[in-house]
Amino acid sequence: MRFQGRKIGATLLGALMFGAGLAHANIPIDGQFGMQPAASERAQTITDFHTYLLVIITVITLFVTALLVWVIFRYNSRSNATPARFSHNTVLEVAWTTLPVMILIAIAVFSFPLLYASDVEPTSEKVASGESRELTADDWVTIKTYGHQWYWRYIYDTDSEEPVEFESRLIPEDDLANNPGSVRQLSVYQPMVVPQGKYVRLNIAAYDVIHSWAMPAFRVKVDAVPGRLNQLWFKAEQEGIYFGQCSELCGLDHAYMPIELRIVPQDVYDQWLTLLREDETEAFEYLEQAQPRTSLQQLASVQ
Amino acid sequence: MAHGAVKHDYHLVNPSPWPVLTSLGLFIMALGGVAYMKGLFGLPQGNLLTLVPGFLIIVWTLFGWWGECIKESRAGDHTPVVEMSLKYGMILFIASEVMFFVAWFWSFFEMVIFHGHRATGMDVALYPQLADWSSWPPPDIALGGEEAGHGGGFHRVETFDPFGLPLINTLILLLSGTTVTWAHHAIAQGDYKGTKLGLLFTVLLGALFSAFQVLEYQHAHFTYDGSLYGSAFFMATGFHGAHVVIGTIFLFVCLMRMMVGNMTVKNHLGFEFAAWYWHFVDVVWLFLFAFVYIAPRFTLGG
Amino acid sequence: MSTEPTIKYEAVADDHHGGGTGGPSIWNPARWLCSTNHKDIGLMYLVFAMFAGIIGFTLSGMMRFELMEPGLQYFTGEAGSWGDRHTYNVVTTMHGLIMIFFMVMPALIGGFGNYFVPIMIGAPDMAMPRMNNISFWLMPFSFALAVLSMFVPGHGSAHGFGGGWVLYPPLSSLIGHNGPSMDLLILSLHIAGISSILGAINFIVTILNMRAPGMTIHKMPLFAWALLITAFLLVLALPVLAGALTMLLTDRNFGSKFFDPAGGGDPIMFQHLFWFFGHPEVYIMILPGFGIISHIISTFSKKPVFGYLAMAYAMAAIGFIGFLVWAHHMYTVGMGVDLKAYFVAATMVIAVPTGVKIFSWIATMWGGSIEFKLPMLWAMAFVFLFTVGGVTGVVLANAGIDHVLHDTYYVVAHFHYVLSLGAVFTLFAGWYYWYEKMFGIKYNALFGHLHFWFMFVGTNLIFFPQHFLGLQGMPRRYVDYADGFAQWNYVSSIGYMITIVAMLFFFVGLILSMIARKKAEANPWGEYATTLEWTLSSPPPFHQFNELPVVKNEAGH
Ligand code: HEA
Ligand code: HEA
Ligand code: CUA
Ligand SMILES: [Cu+2]
Repeated sequence: MRFQGRKIGATLLGALMFGAGLAHANIPIDGQFGMQPAASERAQTITDFHTYLLVIITVITLFVTALLVWVIFRYNSRSNATPARFSHNTVLEVAWTTLPVMILIAIAVFSFPLLYASDVEPTSEKVASGESRELTADDWVTIKTYGHQWYWRYIYDTDSEEPVEFESRLIPEDDLANNPGSVRQLSVYQPMVVPQGKYVRLNIAAYDVIHSWAMPAFRVKVDAVPGRLNQLWFKAEQEGIYFGQCSELCGLDHAYMPIELRIVPQDVYDQWLTLLREDETEAFEYLEQAQPRTSLQQLASVQ
Repeated sequence: MAHGAVKHDYHLVNPSPWPVLTSLGLFIMALGGVAYMKGLFGLPQGNLLTLVPGFLIIVWTLFGWWGECIKESRAGDHTPVVEMSLKYGMILFIASEVMFFVAWFWSFFEMVIFHGHRATGMDVALYPQLADWSSWPPPDIALGGEEAGHGGGFHRVETFDPFGLPLINTLILLLSGTTVTWAHHAIAQGDYKGTKLGLLFTVLLGALFSAFQVLEYQHAHFTYDGSLYGSAFFMATGFHGAHVVIGTIFLFVCLMRMMVGNMTVKNHLGFEFAAWYWHFVDVVWLFLFAFVYIAPRFTLGG
Repeated sequence: MSTEPTIKYEAVADDHHGGGTGGPSIWNPARWLCSTNHKDIGLMYLVFAMFAGIIGFTLSGMMRFELMEPGLQYFTGEAGSWGDRHTYNVVTTMHGLIMIFFMVMPALIGGFGNYFVPIMIGAPDMAMPRMNNISFWLMPFSFALAVLSMFVPGHGSAHGFGGGWVLYPPLSSLIGHNGPSMDLLILSLHIAGISSILGAINFIVTILNMRAPGMTIHKMPLFAWALLITAFLLVLALPVLAGALTMLLTDRNFGSKFFDPAGGGDPIMFQHLFWFFGHPEVYIMILPGFGIISHIISTFSKKPVFGYLAMAYAMAAIGFIGFLVWAHHMYTVGMGVDLKAYFVAATMVIAVPTGVKIFSWIATMWGGSIEFKLPMLWAMAFVFLFTVGGVTGVVLANAGIDHVLHDTYYVVAHFHYVLSLGAVFTLFAGWYYWYEKMFGIKYNALFGHLHFWFMFVGTNLIFFPQHFLGLQGMPRRYVDYADGFAQWNYVSSIGYMITIVAMLFFFVGLILSMIARKKAEANPWGEYATTLEWTLSSPPPFHQFNELPVVKNEAGH
């Protein structure tokens, strides 16, 4: 079991690093130190901000460590037999109060804009020419999801006369073999599907207890709370397969209600949605053809 | 105990069985409580008798413990510095009680002040009744029991008219605040008759308040288990009511101790604490009156 | 660099018993059951905390062994039976609750606080000795209820409560847990809360009212300051938790609708109430440790504490701001963005007073003549490790980042650095610092050092890799994880095994020292251990300060 997992992890890492930009895939990888690769520009800014923070906190920690090391070598009882008696130094005390304040301000000036930009839905978009373009209703696709013990339910076309919905459940370990390319703990039978190039608005609520819809590659996470309708948004920039997992303890199978997200070309999406209205099974069979899971392995075999 | 000459005024209390027994009593009462609520270890659910053993132990230990305190105080262990400790202790106890009420007020503000905030994200698809809670007061509140749930059974909540019984109760409590102060001044001047009279009035007014509160509860047009409004209303005013009852008993004990000549001009800390407690209960009521009865109805639109 | 008058604590004719403990025989059960002696009660707290610590430590081992490899290793039972995935959640929940309520708090506050605060301020005992005893005795009973809750039905046929130490409804309501287990747990926490509130009142009264002549509040040792502030946090925060727990109890059993959207209630309200308590709670766990560390660093650097007043007021500031930041635990519940922005700002502010503490500790060592005795090792390690844990807290404070990291192992790494490598390190630092004083015998230095080094390596190995897991997206409270998380989890579990060895060294060292019974000195640390406990015999007489000590202000050196 474990060895198989390791192998998939390793090959995927290869795929991500070398696999020509056929499609994108995001999956946790063994032995990594940082965040998963960003799947959108927005996500990239969050990665960058984290890198910035990481530098700051590393410098602070190293600074404290250096002082400790210095003190250990310089002021141990052998090197310094007679202790000094001072217990005040106004300049220093002012310095180590104001300096942290300044560091915090340096954090805040990036933190607040980032928070507002990722929390509030954008109203316009910078296009290639550098100008901004107003976003219209057509740029958005709205989907609703309910967290259930222990699966997700997605509802499409919530505003129309007849919304259409389906359940998204984990592929258990003993059925992985029948679903080529599926990944243990992460793949589901019927993933959430969105069209590439659109802004996705997700309305999130819960049916029983609190769950949390998380998609690390897009750096988004919002709790699904009974009685509340929460919202998040992201831009589906690159075609591909993305994974997330329920991120609020919800009972027995909290670890077994992952989130699989497929970003597909608009025409595939349209076709899939049409089929979904008629026959769920067919729709997902079609999706599997249009964007096969095995592409993960294919990607892996590229190198 | 082996000590050398003790040269300070602090009170080194003798070993006492009451703390561990009280703890045991609480433990047994907790087990009995769960047995009553859910059934436990083969004990059937819903049997109030399971609460009795623990409760008896606690009553016993309270008599034992406080009796010991009174004995010590009469033996002269309560020097000025010890009295100061006890006073600080009582003030802090009241402070913690205030924070306890913060929680109940919070549940009230959730509807009264933050409804607009909640309104922006309500899942009315699954919980249609929630729509009612986006304004204050809610136009309709689902009744509990069978009628609750998706669909029908909505009833208009009739909140109380603050200027009926609640106003009378406010006046009663305010009056009782003055009678307890009267008793306080009287004891400080050695006027024991006045003290007893003042205390008697206070106890009677406290009892009257509780009686009116029961009366009011019986005329409620909403239920405890019907909605957040009912739950918050009954728990906030109910906990206050419980404190009124406790305060009344506390004052009554003081009255009894006055009767048997147990308190004097110099030695009446118990009475002082009862008075403080009573004022605290009074102030909580004023907040309840302002925020639970008046504000929702008038200032916040209703 | 200015110098300031040193405060010299001096006991007048302290004990007429010349070293013996005095008091009734330690084999007399009444001495413990009916105790009104702060030192005996402190010792009982420590023994209790140690017992609970072993259980909490064992539970953490069950998690680490399960998580050593992907797939289910041990929690493989059929759903609804003992040993299923739900049991894992129960283990996680109880690990968190036990470590916080029954290990760290009783040890630092009940144990060291009780034993040393009265001595340090020159008082013969706590203000209300009998109430002190009930504060202790409520704890074992509360603990019994908590442990019992693991073995009665939690939901359906599944045993125990598995909803996390934060007890969020509706998972903790009837929907999630319809059995008596959760009710037992609620009442257990009610009782633990009563115990802490009574204890806190006792500390405040003792410190405000029983300081020895000359011991003004601005001459009081920093450990007493720490306990004073901690006690205020307890008195103000715990009753709010009690209210929230009561609402949960009535929602579960009497039909109230506080957290039930069907009746207009709101599950998020519970989170507000819980964290209004919960955030001050984390400072409750660390402030006593801050006090201990100040004493140790000053003692072994042979220098007075740098910036005494700033140290005291920094703790007060941390305590105060601690009440204004609670919703940084709730960035993902769907709060408005302006509210989030407020909580980001307020939370980050706490880094400033905490920085004052860190730098003042270093400045205390600066220019000193440091002896690397065992307590000092723990203290210096603490300064370093707490910084690591603190700065990741600052990362989490930024809501934009917390959207990614919330409920991942990054959070687990953060809080174990401040708790398991923070509060617990201060606990062991204090343990070795005061060991001779409390027990009248010397600790086994060799085993103590082995304990330290294995603990240092082990805990870092457990929790540092968890940062990486969190960044990659591994969610908390998962009994099984995706294969891509395998490697660091494996490392983490290896780290746990090293801490097992560390714990063995701890307990074997303890036993060896009890066998060796090397006679203690009144003050083994020399003239820079200035607080009053070092003027007494080891162990101190059953009743110290029958004649109150006098504090003088000696003009500078
Ligand atoms: C002892 C306990 C303790 C302590 C002291 C802290 C200290 C801090 N904590 Fe921590 N925290 C917990 C225990 C603790 N925490 C626990 C148990 C949880 C999880 C609960 C759960 O969900 O189960 C948690 C979770 C938690 C979260 C929520 C994460 C999430 O769930 O998504 C956040 C977010 O803001 C946070 C922030 C902070 C901050 C900013 C501090 C600050 O006080 C840290 C300040 C210290 C420093 C910054 C280092 C020293 C300073 C300097 C060297 C000066 C220079 C530094 C700068 C300028 C940055 N903590
Ligand atoms: C003080 C608090 C504390 C301490 C010390 C620890 C110690 C440890 N914790 Fe902690 N842990 C929590 C508080 C603490 N934890 C909390 C609050 C949670 C969240 C629960 C939840 O999700 O609801 C958590 C969750 C948690 C998880 C996440 C589980 C999950 O999300 O699925 C893991 C996983 O590895 C873990 C591991 C460990 C390990 C290996 C140790 C230790 O083994 C490390 C070594 C520590 C010791 C060896 C100390 C032993 C102490 C004594 C024996 C006392 C001695 C006493 C005296 C001297 C008087 N813990
Ligand atoms: Cu759903 Cu966790
Ligand atoms: Cu916090």
